[in-house]
Amino acid sequence: MYQGEVIKNLPLSQNVYLLRVKTDLDIIFSFNPGQFVKIKINERIDPLIPRPFTIHDVKKNSFYVLYQVVGKGTKALSLVQPGNKIEFLGPLGKPFPKLENYVICAGGIGIAGFIYLLESIKRKTHPYVLPKKIFYGARTAEDLVCYPFLEGIGTKVEIATEDGSQGYKGLITEPLIKYLEKNKVDVLACGPLPMLKAVAKIAQSFGVKAYLTMETFLSCGTGFCKGCVIPLKNGNYAHLCIEGPTLLAEEIDFEALS
Amino acid sequence: MLASGTWGLGENLDLYLTKEEIKSNIGAFVSKGISRFPKKGNPPPRLYETPCGLINSIGLENPGLEVFKRDYLPKLLSYKVPLIINLHGEEIEDFVALAEGFKEEKVDGIELNISCPNVKKGGIAFSSDPKGVKTLVKEVRKVWERFLAVKLSPVGPVYEIAEICEKEGVDALVVANTYPALGVIGLAPLKVIKGGLSGPAIKPLTLRLVYELAQKVELPIIGSGGILSGKDALEYLVCGAKAFQIGVANLIDPTSAVKIIQEMEELKKKHGLFG
Repeated sequence: MYQGEVIKNLPLSQNVYLLRVKTDLDIIFSFNPGQFVKIKINERIDPLIPRPFTIHDVKKNSFYVLYQVVGKGTKALSLVQPGNKIEFLGPLGKPFPKLENYVICAGGIGIAGFIYLLESIKRKTHPYVLPKKIFYGARTAEDLVCYPFLEGIGTKVEIATEDGSQGYKGLITEPLIKYLEKNKVDVLACGPLPMLKAVAKIAQSFGVKAYLTMETFLSCGTGFCKGCVIPLKNGNYAHLCIEGPTLLAEEIDFEALS
Repeated sequence: MLASGTWGLGENLDLYLTKEEIKSNIGAFVSKGISRFPKKGNPPPRLYETPCGLINSIGLENPGLEVFKRDYLPKLLSYKVPLIINLHGEEIEDFVALAEGFKEEKVDGIELNISCPNVKKGGIAFSSDPKGVKTLVKEVRKVWERFLAVKLSPVGPVYEIAEICEKEGVDALVVANTYPALGVIGLAPLKVIKGGLSGPAIKPLTLRLVYELAQKVELPIIGSGGILSGKDALEYLVCGAKAFQIGVANLIDPTSAVKIIQEMEELKKKHGLFG
């Protein structure tokens, strides 16, 4: 693992935090959009396993992680203070696929990795093309922590909130369906499992591809332990840490997963 | 040593450690459990974290004897690190066939996983059946002359089995495998994961086993259970182990072996231990 220093660890909403980790190591410049890092809070053995986080951005001498506090690991991370040392391992997993004609669909904290993708396009550091549109949904307007950034990105953004406090009132998959009725584009999605399942179904019904960034508890992140499997329709398992985290929706056996 | 199942089949190890680091810090590789035929492993969830521990239920996913020899063994041998193959069988014939399958290969030894159920004895684990272990070791010894280790389960008639291993010409005991454990994933409806617990949570338990066994048998003991630091490793050595394996540490950090060895060497010097 590599050493880093926490420069910032700020709440952006009630339970979403932005972490900035500074390091002098060049390894961070090999981080690609869609890949992830494991973060170890030094000397802690409970929680034992360093948690994986999608790479939210890489700038100057730092990488950024946007995370939601959901359990013991993220709670512990939220208590880390600027100046504290942490260890990290990465880049892990495969980058997002390079799509030409596509939209992004993000639910809640699922937006985290797409910011790095969009920043990479803006800075011309990685050969990705802009999505035709970004669908970004959350429970409430307060949870749309990345909305200010998306306004200046140069592509249309459609917002949905479950309580109707901003944008369309309802699930983000509803405006996505409306769009796909008129446009034949692939979908790159990340968000809660029910949303990903819905996106897989929607894409199938419109005859387009969906690429889903999946999540599961994983331990090694390196392919060593074979613990993070996602069942596939062909009867095999995908090892999410090395074959993912983004998988082709039509290959995933969602029934076996639940 | 790198413990079985905690570093894959070596296919990605060199992404994290240089060949030199591997050679100078790792005394031996113990391969992932190899079965006669490919095993897909268990459906998810395969992992469950507990306070200071990890339950795994991987289900011995592996490519099987022939694919392992063809696709993985050449790279493992190229590291020039002693290689011990962990064997997994459902009956004695499987272990014998596997040992025979490695006879012509340049591997240095085998480690028998006796925590698995013996299908011919109604699914009772070899590790609960001293007579079964006796026959198993006898039969494997008929075809395998090189280094032979038995990886003990920490539960069951451990001491009796250790003594049987000694009498039957086993070269070393690995103490020990994971502890049978259960994690509750869902309360209502109840959803559980049954698997083996490892990590620092089990270290005091396995240390005690090593300590007691070292006084009962002459066989060299390889300690394995929850080693995350040089101090942990040294504790196993002072309690009677002659060597140690690291497991979960590899999952936390693929460079752990190097850090643990460095820390241990410094501590040895500080305390004037082991010359």
